[in-house]
This record gives sequence, C-alpha cells and structure tokens, in this order.
Amino acid sequence: MRYAAALFGMLLVMMLLMRGAASIAHPFDAPRTVPVDFDAEVLPILSEHCYRCHGGVRELSGLNLVYRERVTQPAKSGACAVVPFDAASSEMIRRVNQVGGPKQMPPATSALSRRDRELLARWIEEGAAWEKPWALQEVRATDSLSVQHQEWCRVGLDRFVLAAMEEQGIEPAPEASRATLLRRLSLDITGLPPEPNEVEAFLADASADAYERVVDRLLASPHYGERFARVWLDLARYADTQGYEKDLPRTNWLWRDWVIDALNADMPYDAFSTRLLAGDLLDAATDSDRVATAFHRNTLTNTEGGTDSEEFRMAAVMDRVATTWQAWMGATFQCAQCHGHPYEPYTQREYYEFLAFFNQSADADQDDDAPILKTASPTHGETSVLVMAELPAAQARTTHVLTRGSFAAKGEAVSPNTPFILPPMDPSLPRNRLGLARWLFDPAHPLTARVAANRQWEILLGRGIIETSEDFSLHPEIHGLLDHLAVRLRELGFSMKAFTREIVCSATYRQSSIASVQALAIDPSNRLFSRAIKRRLEAETVRDAVLAVGGILTRTLYGPPVMPAQPSGVWATVYNGEDWKMSEGAQATRRSIYTYWKRTSPHPQMIALDAPSRETCVVRRTQTNTPIAALASFNDPALLGAARGLARRALSDSSDDLRAQAARMFLVALSRDASPEELDRLVAFLETERARFAADAAARNAFLAADATLAPQTDPSVFAALASGANLILNLDEFLTTK
Amino acid sequence: MPSDDSTILHLEAATRRRFLCDAGVSLGGVALASLLGSIGRASAASDDRAGFGPQQHFAPRAKSVIFIHCAGAPPQHDLFDLKPALDRYNGQPCPDEYLKGEKFAFIKGHPTLLASPFKFARFGESGIELSTLLPGLGSIADEIVLLRGMKTDQFNHAPAQLLMHTGEARFGHPSMGAWLSYGLGSSKAQLPSFVVLVSGDKTPDAGKSVWGSGFLPGQFQGVQCRTVGESVLYLDDPAGTTRASRRAALDAMRDLNAMSPFADASTRARVEQFEMAYRMQMSVPEATALTDESQETIELYGATPGKASFANNCLLARRLVERGVRFVQLFDWGWDAHGTGPNDDLLNQLPKKCLEADRPSAALVLDLKRRGLLDETLVIWGGEFGRTPMVEYRNGVKTHLGRDHHPHCFSMWMAGGGVKKGSVYGATDELGYFATEGIVHVQDLHATVLALLGFDHQRLTYRHAGLDQRLTGVTKPSRVVHEIMA
Repeated sequence: MRYAAALFGMLLVMMLLMRGAASIAHPFDAPRTVPVDFDAEVLPILSEHCYRCHGGVRELSGLNLVYRERVTQPAKSGACAVVPFDAASSEMIRRVNQVGGPKQMPPATSALSRRDRELLARWIEEGAAWEKPWALQEVRATDSLSVQHQEWCRVGLDRFVLAAMEEQGIEPAPEASRATLLRRLSLDITGLPPEPNEVEAFLADASADAYERVVDRLLASPHYGERFARVWLDLARYADTQGYEKDLPRTNWLWRDWVIDALNADMPYDAFSTRLLAGDLLDAATDSDRVATAFHRNTLTNTEGGTDSEEFRMAAVMDRVATTWQAWMGATFQCAQCHGHPYEPYTQREYYEFLAFFNQSADADQDDDAPILKTASPTHGETSVLVMAELPAAQARTTHVLTRGSFAAKGEAVSPNTPFILPPMDPSLPRNRLGLARWLFDPAHPLTARVAANRQWEILLGRGIIETSEDFSLHPEIHGLLDHLAVRLRELGFSMKAFTREIVCSATYRQSSIASVQALAIDPSNRLFSRAIKRRLEAETVRDAVLAVGGILTRTLYGPPVMPAQPSGVWATVYNGEDWKMSEGAQATRRSIYTYWKRTSPHPQMIALDAPSRETCVVRRTQTNTPIAALASFNDPALLGAARGLARRALSDSSDDLRAQAARMFLVALSRDASPEELDRLVAFLETERARFAADAAARNAFLAADATLAPQTDPSVFAALASGANLILNLDEFLTTK
Repeated sequence: MPSDDSTILHLEAATRRRFLCDAGVSLGGVALASLLGSIGRASAASDDRAGFGPQQHFAPRAKSVIFIHCAGAPPQHDLFDLKPALDRYNGQPCPDEYLKGEKFAFIKGHPTLLASPFKFARFGESGIELSTLLPGLGSIADEIVLLRGMKTDQFNHAPAQLLMHTGEARFGHPSMGAWLSYGLGSSKAQLPSFVVLVSGDKTPDAGKSVWGSGFLPGQFQGVQCRTVGESVLYLDDPAGTTRASRRAALDAMRDLNAMSPFADASTRARVEQFEMAYRMQMSVPEATALTDESQETIELYGATPGKASFANNCLLARRLVERGVRFVQLFDWGWDAHGTGPNDDLLNQLPKKCLEADRPSAALVLDLKRRGLLDETLVIWGGEFGRTPMVEYRNGVKTHLGRDHHPHCFSMWMAGGGVKKGSVYGATDELGYFATEGIVHVQDLHATVLALLGFDHQRLTYRHAGLDQRLTGVTKPSRVVHEIMA
C-alpha cells in the first residue's frame, strides 16, 4: 500500500516533469521537415543546461549564451561557440559531444541527451536562427482553431482550451451545478459567498441569460473592488507601517480606497496603471491622480538609528523597479541589479537606465515619509497619503551604474531608457515615469497585456496560463490562449470588468471541478484546464466568508484601518510602544482588507493562511495547509462569534426542529442542501453537544460568551449546540475551498 | 433544491467514491505534499519523511540545530576576543588607516579606542581565552569552537539580521530554518519542524521575516512558541469545549468531509491537516511544559517555569530537539550595547545580559551532552554583527561606555553537531578591527551549517523567479568551513 502510494506519487511527478516536453512533438520521432524552433526547442536546452555558467551572471570563459552576437564571437579560448551553418566548426557541438574530460560540456554529471545534442547541431546547420524569447515577441492573434466540438464553446477563448484538450483526447468536464457556479462566481468576483436568497433566486431563474445577469450583478457590487484590491495590495506591498525595526505607523490607507474605487468604477487598466506609476505627472493632475502614486510610496522606510538614508532611498528605488517589472511585465528584472540577467536579455547597464526613470522622486527615506499630500477622503474627511513627486530640475540626480548593486559604488552615469530587446520608447514621450507608463501601453509592447491577462486568469481559474506569473520565461502550454486573451483585453479597451465577464462566461470557467477518470489519467495535474481547479479560499476570504455566513460582517467600505480581535501579546516590536487596540462594535468585523497591516507582525491568522508580510511585491501566493492554519480557523474566539451568528440565523429562519436548523446552517454556509445522510451525521453531533451543554451550564455560558443573553426564547443548550455545529461547518473542506 | 443537476451529482458521487475509497490512491501524492512538505516532488509516504523535499546529499553530522541569536550584537572585545593593544591605546584616537572610507551607524568625528573593562581568563584544557563575564561558557570551553573571524556586509540591525537568517539583506527570502525544514522535514509530525522562541520581550528588528518562509511555501516558516499565554497561537480549545467535544467535532467533520460530493484527494489532506492540528494541541503543551523536568535540571539552566525567560527557552530548545524538532531558533533581545544610558551600556547592561544568558547557554550544551544529544545537535550562538573597538560616546555624552555597530569582524561559537571541540578558528588584527585569518562570512556560515546537516548548499535549491534559489544566494561564492569540522 505504501509502496503503491509512493509509486503513484512518483508517476505524478514524472508526468509533471515531462509536461514541458509533452506539448512539443520531438524532432526525431519522425523525419522532420520544419526547421528547428529556437525559442521552443533550443532556448530551453540553453536555459536548463548552460545559463548557470554561461549566462549573464558568470559568463565563464567569456561565454555568454544569452545573446546571439556573443555566441557567434570568439570566447576567451578563441573558438566560437556557434558557427552558423557549420556544426562541425562550432565549439558548442564539439564540447557537447565530448565524452568525459574537462572539455565535456555540460560537465560529466549533467551531459546532454543525444536528442538535445542532435537538435543543437541541426539548429546550427540550419543557420542558428535566433529569435527573442516568446514573451518578448509581439502578441499575435492566432487564426481560429478548428475544433470538433464547436458547440461546447461559449466565447473565443474556449476554442483554444478545447483544441488542446481534443489534441490530448480529453473531454471537458461537464458544467458545474448552478449552486456551485453561483458560489464560485460570488467568491471569485466579490470575495464573499452568496446569500441563501441569491442561491434560491438563481436556481429559480429559467431565463436564458440568468447566468450572465448574475455575473453583471456581481461585477456591479462594490465588493468587487474590495476583492480585486487585495491583489493590488500584495503587488504594491501595501501596509500601515514603515517596515524596519520600530516599524512605526504610516497613514496611507487613502491609496487602498483609491484602488477600490478605481476598480469599482472600472477605470481601464491603462489609465489605472498610468495613475499608479505617474499620476502626479499627468497634465492638470488632480489630488486623486496624486493619491494613486502612493502605489510606489508603499516602499519601506528605515528609521533605525544610524542608517544611511541614501542607502535605503536607493533600496526603495530598486524596489520600485522590481515591483514595476513584476506587476506589469512578469519578469525578475532585479536580477540585473548586480550583473547581467542570468537568462533574459537584459544587461546591468539597462537595469540602471531603467532605474533612472524612478530616481528623480523627492522622497529620501526620511522618518516623516515626506512628501505627503494632505487631502480629503471622500468618506472620512481630512487625511494624508504618501505621494510621488519629482525633484525640481535644479536638484535632479545623476543615475549611475552601481557596482554589485551597492549604493556607494558608483560606476558610469546613465540616462533613462528602456531595454533594447523591448520596443523603443516613442521619441515624443517624456523620459520620466509618465513616459514610461505610456511606453508600457504601447500596442507593440509584448508583455503588458499578456501579464495582465494571465493575472486575471490566474485569479479566476486558480492557476495562470503561465503558472509562474512572476516569470514569463516558460512557455504557455495551451497554444494561442494567452495571446488571444491579451488581444481581447486590448479590444475591450482594457476594461477589467468586461474582461472578467468574458472569462467567467466561458465554458472553460463553467466546468465542474470534478475530474473524470479519463481526464485524471491524461491530465492528472490539470495543466489543460480540463476541469475547474478546486482551491482554498485566500486568507482574507476565509475570514470574510466566515463573518458573512455568520451574519456579522460589516459591509461598509473605505476608511482608516481597523483592528479586529487578535491574540494578546502578538505585537512586541523593538523600540515601539504601539498597542493593538481592538476596534469596537461593527468595526471589529469589517472585511479583512481593512485590517491594520503591521509589516513586522501581520495579523497571525492571515499569515497562517498564506498571506504575505507585505515587505516586497508578491505576484502569487502559494497555498499550504498547515496544522497552524487549521488551529487559526477552528479555534479563533473571534470566528466563534461568527459561528454563533450562523446559529442565530438558523434559529430565526427555521422551525423549532434541530434537523431543520441544521439544514439551514448547512445551506447558508455551503450554498447547497445537505443530503439526508449528511444531515443525519450533523444532527447526531448536535444532539451530543446539546446534551453536553444541557448538563454543563458553565461550559454553555463559556461557549456562548457575550452572546449568551441574545436568544431569550431559545433553549441556550440548543443555541450552544448549533454554534458548535456551525464552527464545524465553517471548517469543512467544502466551506474553505471554491469548488 | 430543484435539481437541474442530477447528472453532475451522479458523477460527483462516483468520483467521490473513487477518490476516497479506492485502495490504489492514497494520500501519498501531491495532496499530502501540500500539507507537509515540498510541492510536487517525488517522495515515499513513509512515516518519518512523508512528502518531504530533497534527500540529503551526504551523511549528516547533525540532525537538528539550535541557533541562539543574541539580537543587537554582543561586543566581541568584551566577551570573546581579547585585545591587549586596546589596553595600551585606550582613549587614543583610532589610527587613520582604519577609518579610510569607513561609515558608522552612530559614531561621529574621530573615534577613540576603548579597552575592555572586563578581565579575560583561559578556560578548560583547551585554554580558550574568554571574558570572566562568561564563566558558564568557560565551563564548556572544551566543547565549543569559537569563531573569531566572523564577518558580515551590514551594519544596521534589520538588514544584518535578515542577512544572518535569510542570506540576503533584503526582505523576501526564506530563513535558514525554513530552508532546513524544506530539506529535512519534521521527523515527528506532531510538532512543527521549525520552532521559534523569543525572549527579552521584543521581536527582532527585522520582524517575523527572520523566521519567515520567503518564497518557499508557507508551511516552512517558523512557528513561534511562547512561554506565556497560548504556547502556539490558537492552540487552545475554545472556552466551553473539551478534548472529547473537539474530538467529536473532528469526527463529525471527517465524516461530513467524506460525504461531500466534492471530496477528493485534497479533502483527505484537509482531514489530515485538522488531525495534525489536534495532535499538536496535545504534543505542543507536553513539549513546552517544564513541569516534568527535575529540580536539578531546572537549576542547571536557572529556569523559572511559568515565566518567559531566556533560560526557559534554552531548556525548551532541548525538549524540542529531543522530540524531533529540526530547527529551534532563539532570539534574545538586549545586546545592543551603545552606551547611551545604563540600559544599553557595557558596565551595567552587558553583565546583566551575561548573567541571564551565560549559564543557560552552557547548561543547554551540558544537558544535551549528558543526554547523548550533543553529537547530533548543532548549537550556534552569536549576534548579527560585531561592535567597534572604539567607544561610541553618542552625541559627545561620555557618561556610559558602549560600542557602535561593526561589520568587519565578530565572534560566534558553535558546539556539538560535528564541530571541533575546544578550538578557536579565525583571528582579528591587533585592534580587533578587521578579521585577518579564518574569515567566515555569514554566507560561509550558512554553507557550513547546511553541510553539517548533510546538504550541499549549491544543491539545496528551490525554483523561484526563474532561478534555482539557494540560502547562500545564486551569485556570490561561499565556502564550507571544513576546518571547524571534527
């Protein structure tokens, strides 16, 4: 049994490992007529086997295999790695064919397969064509693919997904049940589960466009903005403190409100991005435009005594560069801070030329976080926010290449520019952050739309088309899908709501999460989106959903951060007298996006459920299921308040019968009716708890805590038993996941 | 509920049966990996190493690590690295050649040298010279290797602590404990593999990132155990429940999870997650209670059960490694001896800290030894950087003695886990300004610790942002210090 399990695990892993290769027909399986595709076939070999030593970092023996012009020039030895059309004279081929000895490349332990060696030779014989990595090539819309089961497709993207499935001989999963779809849509679009009346209404709606109308209702909900703002808060490393050591408070929440507002108003992604990066530089910039620039003022400020402000100013500028690339271009540009990028065609000089766009802002790691804009919040009166502002021309800084990235080691001076491999900046654009933002949205820019489309897909489908959404160097597995979406995003005028609507209305999105035997065998890890991906709710959503189902979620938007319940003693930061003062009344049960975020000590429940600590840009959260997370959702006294709330709802909605009350709790929490079998089991537990609480008034009172007096007509033992049952339901796998 | 969904429900039921009941599919694959160990790697679901990451690359000398971080940075000239020259030049200006291009956190103007106000003596058969503030350490001098040539790049606390614990002065990287949890896993799933104990009332300057998982999955982050309040956050059953009622709730939860039409392999992982939490609710209090320790042991450490203290944490650390925890990280705050007042100076605060820390640190080594655990447990002790051979006199006020932050040299000691006993490695120049021999950069320390645990630091990697990331970084070379290995 154990052996079988191990074997199964290994099989899975082997399939995972092979997946990269599986989508590409191997060249020598049959006599090939098409030329070798550099990007799809050669680059992966170089990347896997060569770049560690002959990439932008080490360039051993003077050989850098990232650029064609370097490959065809003599290395230190005088030999050329690649002589186009002449494999026999190419040092690369000699070396990879060497058996043993110091000349063999890659070294003995990781010699290339015969296939790879032959592929390299053939590629050189064909002239060593060299093209940009796929993600840096222009977005290309693919002509419509032919699929057998055209009737399955609802929107354009479905053809791409279906074509890939048909190629592998998989059928799509059937459409999920209506209740499942409504729950999925509600959680995906608003971050909150549907209310029971919404489920009823949807199930009863026989009209042809019932689904689309639900989608439109959800997209119009103000909670849409809250849900997607969460993503931007991670990208922006938003927090309510400065970050280092004392980690003192910082008032920047107006920016969070700006994001919620902009998303709810469906500000097009280009306009939205331009404001985040350069709102202050727009003609006739408004206060609102300036508030948006707090995006890049969420960097850390080091107030520790004895720190060099220039060092940490530069650290913040570098962080802005890294974040801009991560959020808009899906690349780890920061690798080029100390040396050439290890595997992408970016040089260290290009890094600092790009950094020069961000090096003219007035902020300088000062304790007071200047410059600060004092302005009015639409909802909360006067407040302030950290903003970007350019230095006056007379104080303009000169940007230098910094040796090994050290702020004190200034090399040659550089001026603002974008990397050579990407489309040039239009000469009419100003060489500042505004020009940079405009450049990102140049129709020829290969990354911006792809990265945005991939991110939205990742949020809605559970995994990006490029799974590593922070690094676009890997190939997408479904041919043409990402480019189709990037084209559609532009065609939709960068309306994220319209784009979201298109994705969630697809047949792909509407599939059940349940795998057929066939899909499991052929696509075990669901690389092809041949079913919906079941995934745990995000940290914030777990808490929000619990509070919502318990009927105690405060749905007010905006405003200063709040402090919901937190175990005592969690905050104890050096030299900092700040206390966690629990917010009162309804403020303690607001959505988690409003929870005070202290970087050195974020709310432990959020951290247990995989939220990042918000010191750096996070593109993608990794989900884990630790015992610590189970404790945080099952035992938290604050979430027990929601369990009592769910019990109260059942008491007021249902008849006096424990079974009916149990059924009601189940429906409210899981958006579906319990089966008789499930109800039997739940009621059995409730009966046990009722008896226990009836016999033990002290336990009952302790369990009901402050709510003990709130149900005068009810047997308190029943109330307590229901609350205990609710606590259980709110920790069921089905509650904690989208299904 | 109206059923437009009968087909799907039928399919759902069939799928559930297959996933939940078929003997051929157990929890050994990806689902369990998300719960316990590395994602998507091949691994046998054996009891000890279920779902865990890469195997060790060679035979380990140590099975677990206890890293005592004295946050703020203890002054090496007053504790570990005697410099008679400082006695001779006490009060004289630091020679210019040392100060070229130098920056200090607080020192302004031309600083003067400061002799240590404390006596040193030779301890043990090995005769290691240590401050008389550390008689406890002296008593185990023959067990330790003292590293006098430590070196870092950072002289501000937060970046230096990040570098010490994550190998990178910037935020976002996994801590050493997280790397080792990723590599080793826990030998006993009832306890977290990486536990953090904090004393001195404050968390480290760089916050919880120093025990964070960075870009590694979150299950590898350190779990903080506290000696006051719940030992682990949310560990206690809610008021009004009992162990039996929680057991009953978990049983019902398990059954309902199994009955769900959406149940699959990941549901089984969910059930196991909650079961592990339940077991942890018993094993953590058992591990952290000091009540079954003998009076003699309590006194050896100078522990005070029921209170938060450094001594308690040392004793706890032993209990945890005894129970299979792989990495215990202690943080003790209060070593930042600038001399701006009596609470951070050399004459009052440093002896106070030594009194708190010296005996328990030595007791830990002795206790591990007599229990036969020292050979397989690596104990590491030190701060995030060193302190200057010059007096600080902040803002010209000369009422208290203190030293500023200093990256060029400092001292740490290690014991057990395959390191040389009773030895000194590395040395500094006449003034104790620069490390001159046996230089061990923080990254070399990391490479060495990984090696002692059986890992080649170049091969313990995790793919992130397109690179095979390592604790020792992907660009700078680091060296395994074989010279300190037994």
